[in-house]
Amino acid sequence: MDRSRLFGLFLLSLALAGAQALTPAHYLSLSDVARLQNFLSQQFTDLDSAYYSVVGLTKLGATVPDHEGVCQFLKSQLDPSNIDSLFFAAETSQAISGCEIPVSNETRDLLLAAVSEDSTMTQIHRAVSALSSLGLPLASQEVVGALTGRINKEDNVMAITSALQTAARLPQQAELGGILEEIEDLTARLDDLGGIYLQFEEGLEATALFVTAAYSLSDHVDMEPPLKEDQVIQLVNSIFSKKSWDSLAEAFSVASAAAALSNNRFHVPVIVGATGPATVSHSQPTLQLLVTDVMSQPLALASVLLESAYAVASKSIILSQAPFTLNDGVFELNFMSSKPASGYYQFTVAVTGDTRLVGNHVELKVKVSTEVSVTNMELSVVDKDQSIGTKTTRVEYPSKGKSSFTADSHQNFAMAFHLVDVNTGVELVPHQTFVKLHNQKTGQEVVFVAEPDSKKLYKFELDTAERKSEFNSISGTYSLHLIVGDATLENPILWNVADVVLKFVDEEAPVAIQPKTLYVPKPEIQHLFREPEKKPPTVVSNTFTALILSPLLLLLILWLKLGANVSNFTFTPSTILFHVGHAALLGLMYVYWTRLNMFQTLKYLAIIGSVTFLAGNRMLAQKAVKRIEKK
Amino acid sequence: MSNSVISVIGRFLEEYTTTTPNKLKVVDSYLFYILLTGALQFLYCLLVGTFPFNSFLSGFISCVGAFILGVCLRIQINPQNKGDFLSISSERAFADFLFAHTVLHLVVMNFIG
Repeated sequence: MDRSRLFGLFLLSLALAGAQALTPAHYLSLSDVARLQNFLSQQFTDLDSAYYSVVGLTKLGATVPDHEGVCQFLKSQLDPSNIDSLFFAAETSQAISGCEIPVSNETRDLLLAAVSEDSTMTQIHRAVSALSSLGLPLASQEVVGALTGRINKEDNVMAITSALQTAARLPQQAELGGILEEIEDLTARLDDLGGIYLQFEEGLEATALFVTAAYSLSDHVDMEPPLKEDQVIQLVNSIFSKKSWDSLAEAFSVASAAAALSNNRFHVPVIVGATGPATVSHSQPTLQLLVTDVMSQPLALASVLLESAYAVASKSIILSQAPFTLNDGVFELNFMSSKPASGYYQFTVAVTGDTRLVGNHVELKVKVSTEVSVTNMELSVVDKDQSIGTKTTRVEYPSKGKSSFTADSHQNFAMAFHLVDVNTGVELVPHQTFVKLHNQKTGQEVVFVAEPDSKKLYKFELDTAERKSEFNSISGTYSLHLIVGDATLENPILWNVADVVLKFVDEEAPVAIQPKTLYVPKPEIQHLFREPEKKPPTVVSNTFTALILSPLLLLLILWLKLGANVSNFTFTPSTILFHVGHAALLGLMYVYWTRLNMFQTLKYLAIIGSVTFLAGNRMLAQKAVKRIEKK
Repeated sequence: MSNSVISVIGRFLEEYTTTTPNKLKVVDSYLFYILLTGALQFLYCLLVGTFPFNSFLSGFISCVGAFILGVCLRIQINPQNKGDFLSISSERAFADFLFAHTVLHLVVMNFIG
């Protein structure tokens, strides 16, 4: 029964969290308010700067110094024939006490004449405001007519905002319904930026003045402005996200909007924030919340209720429906009384006590931090073959082990410990638990992760033979450190537990890394000729040479058998020349094969060839003559 | 069958020895020599390999070229073809033969490597 009710509450709180996820992200902190005041407290140069400064400061609730001096300034600067001048002076004099602006009949007529459809919206607004501030009578019906006519002609945000402001100055009995509808129309023109900001593209000043005018008119006629809660929060975000202001007018508009948003009859955005970091611990068990309006002024009437708090890691509800107590302007809750484990908690906080509150369901992330201590630290050197019983030494935090431990390659060095919450005695598993070995001589550091087993006992074992590469096989004295850290720990630990002497078998001198020389000539690239194919054995080739020459012998034999002879040979010069030339041609062929190139060959060939040709021609001609004679 | 082949060959040889002029027989024996040389080179190529391929080619081409030139010479100096080559005397044919040989061997030498 109880459990199902709790579960239902949990679901309800989750649903509420989903629906009310949007909370103001920007507001005027106390320092922002001070800066804004400082910005507005400028030396006046003319009437409008006096107006922005004095009225802006008044909106912020600050006091304006030297009322007399301001009044003198107004009177000296006033130009009774100028509506703007009259407006600034009249409005400023309203904001300070004991300052009367003298009004003549001409001035009154001038102002009244300005209230017509032919004047601009600004002129109407300023004239009506001046008349109202100076306490002069005006015909509200006429003003409403002029405004309605102007709205149709000047359909821009600034003009309609001026119309809203003007309407707020009229008596409540006037017919303001038509102008009131303009609020909704303007709301529809707001641009939504990522669901977080809502603003007019005309800029910050237009947005801020619209908010001011909408709330002042709504207050005036006592009708809730047609703005949804989300829209109000988005407007707050866009107006107060800018923290440095370009002009007095802009700063004035922000101050006016802040005043309107923190004091009106319908919507008051709530800012909930923790004082300092949202952290509780055993030494600081209370969670302190500040609940303010957009100007960081405490909302005195509010009451704050913790709807639910669940652990982020386990999603289990720790506490629900717990009220905060108001203590000297700060809402407090002793969260540690519900004995939460350390970690992060999601709080859903509701601010009630006033129906006007907007954004009053707030999600907060709260950290519960604690202190850790190391217990049961045991160090031992274990023989791998278990032949010798292990000797275990206890070391108490935070002192250092007296004797140093020695482990060679046949031994493992082991450590075991518990991490315990100092306040509750519960075993903790922090995010970071490291074992660091620091070589005292070379300064080298080797870090290992210590892991807990299922009983949350941390064990770390160092196999000297296996891990030697991580130590570069450098034997020596290492100081052993334990490092424990977590975001939820108030006392992170760095403890020099003991000294350990590690001995590695094949100790090598550390290899000096040789810098690569980049600028040396590369090995020369040699051209590779094609590998000649394997030649046949000499016997074979010689045999075939003989074989191929053998038909020559056959030819000679055949010729002898046939009776070929050289009986026709005559020793005439041409014959000799021909045969010598022919032989020379054959010789030339051979020389060409062995040493000459084609061009040289052709040159010699031409010489020898022509001689041979002539001689041959002559010789053969003689033969032919002889043959014919024979017949 | 084999008898008739043998008788045909015997008849052919007899005809050849008796009717062919002696000059032509000299040329024929030259052609036979060229043929044998080319055949032996080809045999070497089949048995051992074509390794110095350009040498083999030049040797074989010189045989083929010389054979063709020899055949041309034989045709031109054959008395039976006298009617076809009226303007070419046998001396002229021999001179052409020598000239063509010179050109052929220039190519072959160029190719032999």
